[in-house]
Amino acid sequence: MSFIRPTLLRPVVAPRFVAAPRTAIAAFHATPKHNIMPAGPQVIDGTINDPAPVPEQNSKHGAYHWSFERLLSVGLIPLTIAPFAAGSVHPVLDATLGATLVLHSHIGFQACIADYFPMRNWPTLHKGSKILLNIGTAIVLYGLYEFETNDVGITEAVKRVWTA
Amino acid sequence: MLARTAALRLATSASARTTVPRAVFAATQTRSTATTTKTTDAEAYSILVAQRKQRPISPHLTIYQPQLTWYMSSLNRITGVALAASVYLYGIGYVIAPYAGLHLESASLAAGMAALPIAAKIAIKSAIASPFVYHAFNGVRHLTWDTARELSIKGVYRTGYAVIALTTVGAGYLIFGV
Repeated sequence: MSFIRPTLLRPVVAPRFVAAPRTAIAAFHATPKHNIMPAGPQVIDGTINDPAPVPEQNSKHGAYHWSFERLLSVGLIPLTIAPFAAGSVHPVLDATLGATLVLHSHIGFQACIADYFPMRNWPTLHKGSKILLNIGTAIVLYGLYEFETNDVGITEAVKRVWTA
Repeated sequence: MLARTAALRLATSASARTTVPRAVFAATQTRSTATTTKTTDAEAYSILVAQRKQRPISPHLTIYQPQLTWYMSSLNRITGVALAASVYLYGIGYVIAPYAGLHLESASLAAGMAALPIAAKIAIKSAIASPFVYHAFNGVRHLTWDTARELSIKGVYRTGYAVIALTTVGAGYLIFGV
């Protein structure tokens, strides 16, 4: 047992060869445990001196698109409250609720594709999932039409299942 | 001496890899190991691209402190995708049901739901009501921001806590009160 603090008992002669420190960048994002969203393939377009490309101006993808998104979202508020308040709604209002939900979902999925499969890194996946989404939305809209014409409507169906 | 040799070796390997033309002052120093390679513009560009693909990538979600702001933001998208995916799955399922021999009509679903034990009913209702109520109220929170209101740290937290409270109450009502 020594009265000298352990920190003072370090070797007097430093080792001659100190291992080079490993690169620290790998610690987080290369660990499988932490690798929630691995970076996609690295893509280089042009040289380092190129200016950032200015996208072509198109109000359909800009202001109008933003306004249309808000219009759908704001419209969903009364459409969602109406069935709760009234107990049941007219089939046309019910179909409007369904169609608005599907379009809102469609735009949401588009945002996800743009965020997680960006065109720059995943051109094939980006285009493929957009095509799949369009097909899916068309089928769902057709299914909604079938449901509204052959079944009891969304509001009434949810009510019956919920209180079953 | 050892360090200098190592540095020289590093510089040599680096220059061999990058082929950056370096100014060599022959009168003041000689460095026989350094070599330069003539490359065409296309070759230089491909080397540059290869190098830039090795650049470090920003760390992701795991390094950030958990905060209400980005947790609620993530939850908004997760609940939205979950709800939308459910709508799409049901919609597509309803279309193919007659061909696949499935029964997805509201009457069958209601009968199936009625046959479940109470615990399963609560579980299913929770799984649907919680994300729905959260996404609905957080959607209103987003629309509030879109009118340039509550756009401050205080406002973001105040509305955030309001959404959590409203979600708890609303989902609780839908699960147990209806």
